[in-house]
Amino acid sequence: MEILKEISAQLQFGDDEKVFELTKQAIEQKIDPQIILADGLLNGMSVISEQFRNHDIFLPEVLLAAKAMYAGLDQLKPLFIKEEIPTLGKIVIGTVKGDLHDLGKNLVGIMLKGAGFDVIDLGKDVSPEKFVETAVKENAKLIGMSALLTTTMPMMKTVVDLLKQNNLNDKIKTVIGGAPITKKYAEEIGADAYAFDAAKSVECAKNLLNN
Amino acid sequence: MIESVKIITEKIIPLIEDITLQQGIPKGSVIKDNIKSLIEKSLSIFQDEAEPSCIISEVSQNDFDKIFVGEGNNENEAPLKMIYPQADHLVLFAVTMGEGISRLVTELFNKNDFALGSMVDTVASLAADKSVELLENYITEKFVGNKLTNNGFMALSYSPGYCGWNINAQKKLFSFLQPQQIGISLNESCLMTPLKSVTGVLVYGNKSIHQFDSSFSFCFNCRAQSCIERNERIFNH
Repeated sequence: MEILKEISAQLQFGDDEKVFELTKQAIEQKIDPQIILADGLLNGMSVISEQFRNHDIFLPEVLLAAKAMYAGLDQLKPLFIKEEIPTLGKIVIGTVKGDLHDLGKNLVGIMLKGAGFDVIDLGKDVSPEKFVETAVKENAKLIGMSALLTTTMPMMKTVVDLLKQNNLNDKIKTVIGGAPITKKYAEEIGADAYAFDAAKSVECAKNLLNN
Repeated sequence: MIESVKIITEKIIPLIEDITLQQGIPKGSVIKDNIKSLIEKSLSIFQDEAEPSCIISEVSQNDFDKIFVGEGNNENEAPLKMIYPQADHLVLFAVTMGEGISRLVTELFNKNDFALGSMVDTVASLAADKSVELLENYITEKFVGNKLTNNGFMALSYSPGYCGWNINAQKKLFSFLQPQQIGISLNESCLMTPLKSVTGVLVYGNKSIHQFDSSFSFCFNCRAQSCIERNERIFNH
Protein backbone atom coordinates (compact mmCIF):
# COMPACT_ATOMS: atom_id res chain seq x y z
CA MET A 1 0.00 0.00 0.00
CA GLU A 2 1.39 3.36 -1.04
CA ILE A 3 0.59 5.13 2.19
CA LEU A 4 2.55 2.55 4.21
CA LYS A 5 5.57 2.94 1.94
CA GLU A 6 5.28 6.68 2.43
CA ILE A 7 5.12 6.27 6.24
CA SER A 8 8.27 4.16 6.08
CA ALA A 9 10.03 6.68 3.81
CA GLN A 10 9.15 9.72 5.92
CA LEU A 11 10.21 7.88 9.06
CA GLN A 12 13.57 7.25 7.43
CA PHE A 13 13.83 10.99 6.66
CA GLY A 14 13.06 11.66 10.33
CA ASP A 15 9.99 13.75 9.54
CA ASP A 16 7.83 13.18 12.61
CA GLU A 17 5.10 15.59 11.51
CA LYS A 18 4.60 13.79 8.19
CA VAL A 19 4.63 10.37 9.88
CA PHE A 20 2.00 11.64 12.32
CA GLU A 21 -0.22 12.86 9.48
CA LEU A 22 0.22 9.78 7.32
CA THR A 23 -0.43 7.40 10.22
CA LYS A 24 -3.60 9.34 10.99
CA GLN A 25 -4.68 9.00 7.34
CA ALA A 26 -3.89 5.28 7.32
CA ILE A 27 -6.05 4.79 10.43
CA GLU A 28 -8.87 6.80 8.80
CA GLN A 29 -8.56 4.57 5.75
CA LYS A 30 -9.29 1.65 8.12
CA ILE A 31 -6.00 -0.08 7.44
CA ASP A 32 -5.33 -2.73 10.10
CA PRO A 33 -3.21 -1.08 12.86
CA GLN A 34 -0.98 -4.16 12.99
CA ILE A 35 -0.19 -3.69 9.31
CA ILE A 36 0.41 0.06 9.72
CA LEU A 37 2.83 -0.82 12.53
CA ALA A 38 4.63 -3.64 10.73
CA ASP A 39 4.72 -2.37 7.14
CA GLY A 40 4.93 1.34 7.89
CA LEU A 41 6.72 2.11 11.12
CA LEU A 42 8.77 -1.01 11.85
CA ASN A 43 9.65 -1.36 8.20
CA GLY A 44 11.13 2.14 8.27
CA MET A 45 13.02 1.45 11.50
CA SER A 46 14.48 -1.77 10.18
CA VAL A 47 15.94 0.13 7.21
CA ILE A 48 17.34 2.68 9.65
CA SER A 49 18.83 -0.09 11.82
CA GLU A 50 20.49 -1.69 8.82
CA GLN A 51 21.93 1.63 7.63
CA PHE A 52 23.18 2.38 11.15
CA ARG A 53 24.84 -1.03 11.40
CA ASN A 54 26.52 -0.43 8.06
CA HIS A 55 27.69 3.05 9.16
CA ASP A 56 25.72 4.67 6.33
CA ILE A 57 23.92 6.85 8.82
CA PHE A 58 24.75 7.93 12.35
CA LEU A 59 23.20 8.46 15.75
CA PRO A 60 21.31 11.74 15.06
CA GLU A 61 19.49 10.21 12.07
CA VAL A 62 18.53 7.15 14.11
CA LEU A 63 17.12 9.34 16.85
CA LEU A 64 15.22 11.55 14.41
CA ALA A 65 13.71 8.40 12.92
CA ALA A 66 12.84 7.17 16.41
CA LYS A 67 10.97 10.40 17.14
CA ALA A 68 9.03 9.88 13.92
CA MET A 69 8.32 6.27 14.89
CA TYR A 70 6.91 7.37 18.25
CA ALA A 71 4.75 9.98 16.49
CA GLY A 72 3.09 7.14 14.62
CA LEU A 73 3.16 4.62 17.46
CA ASP A 74 1.40 6.92 19.90
CA GLN A 75 -1.60 7.02 17.57
CA LEU A 76 -1.69 3.25 17.11
CA LYS A 77 -1.36 2.32 20.79
CA PRO A 78 -4.99 3.08 21.76
CA LEU A 79 -6.16 0.88 18.90
CA PHE A 80 -4.39 -2.12 20.38
CA ILE A 81 -6.12 -2.04 23.74
CA LYS A 82 -8.41 -4.90 22.94
CA GLU A 83 -5.78 -7.03 21.24
CA GLU A 84 -2.14 -7.78 21.92
CA ILE A 85 0.36 -5.45 20.27
CA PRO A 86 2.44 -7.76 18.12
CA THR A 87 5.97 -7.96 19.50
CA LEU A 88 9.10 -10.05 19.24
CA GLY A 89 9.06 -10.44 23.02
CA LYS A 90 9.14 -8.48 26.27
CA ILE A 91 12.35 -6.98 27.57
CA VAL A 92 12.90 -5.20 30.88
CA ILE A 93 15.65 -2.58 30.80
CA GLY A 94 17.14 -0.19 33.30
CA THR A 95 20.22 1.46 34.74
CA VAL A 96 21.40 -0.40 37.84
CA LYS A 97 21.09 0.73 41.45
CA GLY A 98 23.27 3.69 42.39
CA ASP A 99 23.67 4.85 38.79
CA LEU A 100 21.78 7.69 37.14
CA HIS A 101 23.30 7.61 33.67
CA ASP A 102 20.52 6.75 31.26
CA LEU A 103 21.34 8.10 27.81
CA GLY A 104 22.77 4.81 26.59
CA LYS A 105 19.94 2.85 28.15
CA ASN A 106 17.42 5.17 26.48
CA LEU A 107 19.07 4.58 23.11
CA VAL A 108 18.91 0.83 23.66
CA GLY A 109 15.20 1.11 24.51
CA ILE A 110 14.56 3.07 21.33
CA MET A 111 16.44 0.58 19.14
CA LEU A 112 14.73 -2.42 20.75
CA LYS A 113 11.30 -0.85 20.34
CA GLY A 114 12.15 0.00 16.74
CA ALA A 115 13.04 -3.62 16.17
CA GLY A 116 9.62 -4.73 17.39
CA PHE A 117 10.28 -5.65 21.04
CA ASP A 118 7.95 -4.67 23.86
CA VAL A 119 10.23 -2.66 26.16
CA ILE A 120 9.52 -2.05 29.84
CA ASP A 121 11.89 0.70 30.88
CA LEU A 122 12.38 0.84 34.64
CA GLY A 123 14.47 4.00 34.41
CA LYS A 124 17.55 4.55 36.52
CA ASP A 125 18.79 3.53 39.95
CA VAL A 126 16.90 0.23 39.67
CA SER A 127 17.34 -2.33 42.44
CA PRO A 128 18.18 -5.93 41.53
CA GLU A 129 14.90 -7.07 43.09
CA LYS A 130 12.92 -4.67 40.91
CA PHE A 131 14.54 -6.00 37.73
CA VAL A 132 13.67 -9.58 38.62
CA GLU A 133 10.19 -8.89 40.04
CA THR A 134 9.20 -6.89 36.98
CA ALA A 135 10.52 -9.50 34.56
CA VAL A 136 8.54 -12.21 36.36
CA LYS A 137 5.36 -10.14 36.65
CA GLU A 138 5.49 -9.07 32.99
CA ASN A 139 6.57 -12.47 31.73
CA ALA A 140 9.62 -10.89 30.13
CA LYS A 141 12.27 -13.14 28.65
CA LEU A 142 15.19 -10.74 28.88
CA ILE A 143 16.64 -8.24 31.32
CA GLY A 144 18.93 -5.58 29.88
CA MET A 145 21.12 -3.68 32.34
CA SER A 146 23.28 -0.59 31.93
CA ALA A 147 26.00 0.75 34.24
CA LEU A 148 28.51 3.51 33.70
CA LEU A 149 30.49 3.31 36.94
CA THR A 150 32.85 0.64 38.22
CA THR A 151 31.12 1.05 41.58
CA THR A 152 27.69 0.14 40.21
CA MET A 153 28.69 -2.70 37.87
CA PRO A 154 28.52 -5.28 40.68
CA MET A 155 24.74 -4.78 40.79
CA MET A 156 24.60 -6.65 37.51
CA LYS A 157 26.03 -9.76 39.17
CA THR A 158 23.44 -9.41 41.93
CA VAL A 159 20.66 -9.58 39.34
CA VAL A 160 22.22 -12.62 37.66
CA ASP A 161 22.63 -14.33 41.04
CA LEU A 162 19.03 -13.53 42.03
CA LEU A 163 17.77 -15.16 38.87
CA LYS A 164 19.88 -18.28 39.58
CA GLN A 165 18.76 -18.45 43.21
CA ASN A 166 15.14 -18.42 42.08
CA ASN A 167 15.71 -20.92 39.24
CA LEU A 168 14.78 -18.27 36.71
CA ASN A 169 18.04 -18.08 34.77
CA ASP A 170 16.86 -20.46 32.04
CA LYS A 171 13.60 -18.60 31.60
CA ILE A 172 14.94 -15.02 31.83
CA LYS A 173 18.18 -14.11 30.07
CA THR A 174 20.44 -11.15 30.81
CA VAL A 175 22.35 -8.76 28.59
CA ILE A 176 24.64 -6.06 29.97
CA GLY A 177 26.35 -2.95 28.62
CA GLY A 178 27.90 0.39 29.50
CA ALA A 179 31.28 2.11 29.29
CA PRO A 180 33.19 0.04 31.90
CA ILE A 181 31.54 -3.24 30.85
CA THR A 182 33.43 -5.84 28.82
CA LYS A 183 32.65 -9.23 27.33
CA LYS A 184 35.03 -10.74 29.89
CA TYR A 185 33.07 -9.14 32.72
CA ALA A 186 29.82 -10.47 31.32
CA GLU A 187 31.30 -13.97 31.24
CA GLU A 188 32.70 -13.62 34.77
CA ILE A 189 29.34 -12.75 36.28
CA GLY A 190 27.36 -15.23 34.24
CA ALA A 191 25.40 -12.75 32.11
CA ASP A 192 24.09 -14.30 28.91
CA ALA A 193 25.36 -11.57 26.61
CA TYR A 194 27.35 -8.34 26.39
CA ALA A 195 26.24 -5.54 24.09
CA PHE A 196 28.95 -3.07 23.10
CA ASP A 197 26.40 -0.51 21.91
CA ALA A 198 22.71 0.05 21.25
CA ALA A 199 22.84 -1.54 17.79
CA LYS A 200 24.49 -4.66 19.20
CA SER A 201 21.82 -4.88 21.91
CA VAL A 202 19.18 -5.52 19.26
CA GLU A 203 21.27 -8.33 17.77
CA CYS A 204 21.79 -9.83 21.25
CA ALA A 205 18.09 -9.64 22.05
CA LYS A 206 17.14 -11.35 18.80
CA ASN A 207 19.72 -14.10 19.34
CA LEU A 208 18.78 -14.74 22.95
CA LEU A 209 15.04 -14.71 22.41
CA ASN A 210 15.16 -16.82 19.29
CA ASN A 211 17.14 -19.44 21.12
CA MET B 1 41.90 28.29 50.36
CA ILE B 2 38.94 27.65 48.05
CA GLU B 3 38.70 30.03 45.10
CA SER B 4 35.77 30.55 42.77
CA VAL B 5 36.69 30.74 39.09
CA LYS B 6 34.29 32.44 36.69
CA ILE B 7 33.43 30.38 33.62
CA ILE B 8 31.83 32.31 30.78
CA THR B 9 29.42 30.16 28.80
CA GLU B 10 30.48 31.61 25.44
CA LYS B 11 34.05 30.50 26.09
CA ILE B 12 33.12 26.84 26.59
CA ILE B 13 30.93 26.34 23.52
CA PRO B 14 32.33 23.27 21.77
CA LEU B 15 33.40 23.19 18.14
CA ILE B 16 30.91 21.73 15.68
CA GLU B 17 33.44 19.16 14.52
CA ASP B 18 33.84 17.96 18.11
CA ILE B 19 30.06 17.71 18.52
CA THR B 20 29.64 15.68 15.34
CA LEU B 21 32.55 13.41 16.26
CA GLN B 22 31.03 12.75 19.67
CA GLN B 23 27.74 11.90 17.95
CA GLY B 24 29.56 9.21 16.01
CA ILE B 25 29.81 11.11 12.71
CA PRO B 26 33.27 10.53 11.25
CA LYS B 27 35.52 13.49 10.50
CA GLY B 28 35.08 14.84 6.99
CA SER B 29 31.48 13.56 6.61
CA VAL B 30 28.93 15.77 4.89
CA ILE B 31 26.56 17.01 7.59
CA LYS B 32 22.92 16.94 6.51
CA ASP B 33 20.78 20.06 6.96
CA ASN B 34 18.52 18.48 9.56
CA ILE B 35 21.57 17.58 11.69
CA LYS B 36 23.08 21.09 11.27
CA SER B 37 19.76 22.46 12.46
CA LEU B 38 19.82 20.14 15.49
CA ILE B 39 23.32 21.28 16.36
CA GLU B 40 22.39 24.96 16.10
CA LYS B 41 19.34 24.43 18.26
CA SER B 42 21.29 22.50 20.89
CA LEU B 43 23.97 25.21 21.07
CA SER B 44 21.29 27.85 21.54
CA ILE B 45 19.62 25.80 24.28
CA PHE B 46 22.95 25.28 26.02
CA GLN B 47 23.74 28.99 25.98
CA ASP B 48 20.34 29.76 27.50
CA GLU B 49 20.23 27.01 30.12
CA ALA B 50 23.76 26.25 31.25
CA GLU B 51 24.96 27.74 34.53
CA PRO B 52 28.64 26.85 34.68
CA SER B 53 30.46 27.30 37.96
CA CYS B 54 33.83 26.23 39.29
CA ILE B 55 35.95 26.12 42.45
CA ILE B 56 39.62 25.32 42.94
CA SER B 57 41.88 24.82 45.93
CA GLU B 58 45.62 24.20 46.09
CA VAL B 59 46.65 21.22 48.21
CA SER B 60 49.95 20.01 49.61
CA GLN B 61 51.59 16.79 48.43
CA ASN B 62 50.84 15.27 51.85
CA ASP B 63 47.16 16.02 51.55
CA PHE B 64 47.03 14.84 47.97
CA ASP B 65 48.69 11.55 48.99
CA LYS B 66 45.54 10.84 51.03
CA ILE B 67 43.18 11.99 48.29
CA PHE B 68 44.96 9.91 45.66
CA VAL B 69 44.92 6.76 47.78
CA GLY B 70 41.20 7.30 48.46
CA GLU B 71 39.63 4.07 49.73
CA GLY B 72 42.66 2.06 48.64
CA ASN B 73 41.28 0.60 45.41
CA ASN B 74 43.58 2.14 42.81
CA GLU B 75 45.36 0.01 40.25
CA ASN B 76 48.88 -0.92 41.40
CA GLU B 77 50.37 1.18 38.64
CA ALA B 78 48.64 4.32 37.47
CA PRO B 79 50.06 7.28 35.52
CA LEU B 80 49.06 9.85 38.16
CA LYS B 81 50.93 7.88 40.85
CA MET B 82 54.18 8.66 38.99
CA ILE B 83 53.19 12.15 37.89
CA TYR B 84 51.96 14.00 40.93
CA PRO B 85 55.06 13.56 43.14
CA GLN B 86 56.98 15.51 40.47
CA ALA B 87 54.54 18.42 40.47
CA ASP B 88 55.36 21.96 41.54
CA HIS B 89 51.74 22.62 42.45
CA LEU B 90 48.61 20.50 42.90
CA VAL B 91 45.20 22.13 42.64
CA LEU B 92 41.90 20.36 43.26
CA PHE B 93 39.03 21.47 41.05
CA ALA B 94 35.29 20.99 40.60
CA VAL B 95 33.29 22.32 37.68
CA THR B 96 29.63 21.89 36.80
CA MET B 97 27.35 22.94 33.97
CA GLY B 98 24.47 23.16 36.47
CA GLU B 99 21.35 21.16 37.22
CA GLY B 100 19.18 22.93 34.65
CA ILE B 101 20.85 21.49 31.58
CA SER B 102 20.69 17.90 32.90
CA ARG B 103 17.03 18.34 33.75
CA LEU B 104 16.35 19.70 30.27
CA VAL B 105 17.95 16.66 28.62
CA THR B 106 15.64 14.40 30.64
CA GLU B 107 12.62 16.50 29.64
CA LEU B 108 13.55 16.31 25.97
CA PHE B 109 13.81 12.52 26.16
CA ASN B 110 10.48 12.34 27.98
CA LYS B 111 8.90 14.30 25.11
CA ASN B 112 10.43 11.81 22.61
CA ASP B 113 12.74 14.56 21.32
CA PHE B 114 15.61 12.08 21.45
CA ALA B 115 17.85 13.62 18.80
CA LEU B 116 17.77 17.07 20.38
CA GLY B 117 18.15 15.62 23.88
CA SER B 118 21.17 13.60 22.81
CA MET B 119 22.70 16.61 21.04
CA VAL B 120 22.24 18.91 24.06
CA ASP B 121 23.75 16.19 26.24
CA THR B 122 26.77 16.02 23.93
CA VAL B 123 27.19 19.80 23.93
CA ALA B 124 27.02 19.89 27.74
CA SER B 125 29.58 17.07 28.10
CA LEU B 126 32.00 18.75 25.71
CA ALA B 127 31.49 22.11 27.38
CA ALA B 128 32.32 20.56 30.76
CA ASP B 129 35.54 19.17 29.26
CA LYS B 130 36.32 22.53 27.69
CA SER B 131 35.84 24.19 31.08
CA VAL B 132 38.56 21.94 32.45
CA GLU B 133 40.88 22.96 29.58
CA LEU B 134 40.24 26.62 30.47
CA LEU B 135 41.12 25.80 34.06
CA GLU B 136 44.36 24.17 32.94
CA ASN B 137 45.28 27.40 31.12
CA TYR B 138 44.18 29.51 34.10
CA ILE B 139 46.38 27.56 36.52
CA THR B 140 49.31 27.53 34.10
CA GLU B 141 49.12 31.32 33.73
CA LYS B 142 48.69 31.76 37.47
CA PHE B 143 51.90 29.87 38.31
CA VAL B 144 53.92 31.08 35.35
CA GLY B 145 53.21 34.56 36.74
CA ASN B 146 55.13 37.44 35.15
CA LYS B 147 57.57 35.31 33.18
CA LEU B 148 57.56 35.96 29.43
CA THR B 149 57.16 32.31 28.54
CA ASN B 150 56.01 29.26 30.46
CA ASN B 151 59.37 27.54 29.77
CA GLY B 152 57.63 24.24 29.11
CA PHE B 153 55.65 24.31 32.36
CA MET B 154 51.95 23.53 32.30
CA ALA B 155 48.95 22.27 34.26
CA LEU B 156 47.02 19.19 33.16
CA SER B 157 43.96 17.63 34.76
CA TYR B 158 43.37 14.12 36.08
CA SER B 159 40.08 12.79 37.41
CA PRO B 160 39.06 9.86 39.60
CA GLY B 161 37.56 7.01 37.63
CA TYR B 162 40.16 7.19 34.87
CA CYS B 163 43.58 5.73 34.22
CA GLY B 164 43.78 3.51 37.27
CA TRP B 165 42.72 6.18 39.78
CA ASN B 166 39.69 4.56 41.39
CA ILE B 167 36.47 6.51 41.31
CA ASN B 168 35.94 6.17 45.05
CA ALA B 169 38.78 8.66 45.55
CA GLN B 170 35.97 11.15 44.90
CA LYS B 171 34.97 10.74 48.56
CA LYS B 172 38.27 12.13 49.87
CA LEU B 173 38.35 14.76 47.14
CA PHE B 174 34.87 15.89 48.14
CA SER B 175 35.79 16.07 51.80
CA PHE B 176 38.76 18.34 50.96
CA LEU B 177 37.19 20.56 48.32
CA GLN B 178 33.49 20.61 49.32
CA PRO B 179 32.01 20.98 45.80
CA GLN B 180 28.60 20.93 47.47
CA GLN B 181 29.02 24.69 47.69
CA ILE B 182 28.52 24.93 43.91
CA GLY B 183 25.70 22.40 43.93
CA ILE B 184 27.61 19.20 43.18
CA SER B 185 26.70 16.20 45.31
CA LEU B 186 28.17 12.71 45.46
CA ASN B 187 26.09 9.59 46.09
CA GLU B 188 27.21 6.31 47.66
CA SER B 189 28.27 4.96 44.26
CA CYS B 190 30.46 8.04 43.74
CA LEU B 191 28.12 9.35 41.11
CA MET B 192 28.09 13.14 40.89
CA THR B 193 24.96 15.16 40.31
CA PRO B 194 24.43 17.25 38.28
CA LEU B 195 25.74 14.70 35.78
CA LYS B 196 27.62 17.30 33.75
CA SER B 197 30.19 17.87 36.47
CA VAL B 198 33.90 17.15 36.53
CA THR B 199 36.24 17.00 39.51
CA GLY B 200 39.88 16.15 39.82
CA VAL B 201 43.34 17.57 40.27
CA LEU B 202 45.32 19.99 38.14
CA VAL B 203 48.97 19.00 38.19
CA TYR B 204 51.35 21.87 37.44
CA GLY B 205 54.95 21.17 36.52
CA ASN B 206 57.35 20.67 33.62
CA LYS B 207 55.37 19.20 30.75
CA SER B 208 57.71 16.19 30.61
CA ILE B 209 56.22 14.86 33.85
CA HIS B 210 52.90 14.30 32.08
CA GLN B 211 54.30 12.03 29.40
CA PHE B 212 53.45 8.33 29.72
CA ASP B 213 52.85 5.30 27.51
CA SER B 214 49.27 4.09 27.26
CA SER B 215 50.34 0.54 27.99
CA PHE B 216 48.85 -0.02 31.41
CA SER B 217 46.63 -3.05 31.96
CA PHE B 218 43.49 -0.90 32.06
CA CYS B 219 44.35 0.85 28.76
CA PHE B 220 43.28 -2.23 26.80
CA ASN B 221 39.59 -1.79 27.66
CA CYS B 222 39.57 2.00 27.71
CA ARG B 223 37.04 3.55 25.31
CA ALA B 224 38.02 7.16 26.00
CA GLN B 225 41.68 7.07 24.92
CA SER B 226 41.78 10.83 25.47
CA CYS B 227 45.31 10.54 26.89
CA ILE B 228 46.61 9.63 23.43
CA GLU B 229 45.09 12.75 21.84
CA ARG B 230 46.33 14.90 24.71
CA ASN B 231 49.88 13.56 24.49
CA GLU B 232 49.82 14.07 20.73
CA ARG B 233 48.72 17.68 21.21
CA ILE B 234 51.30 18.48 23.89
CA PHE B 235 54.35 16.58 22.81
CA ASN B 236 54.11 16.31 19.05
CA HIS B 237 52.63 19.57 17.78
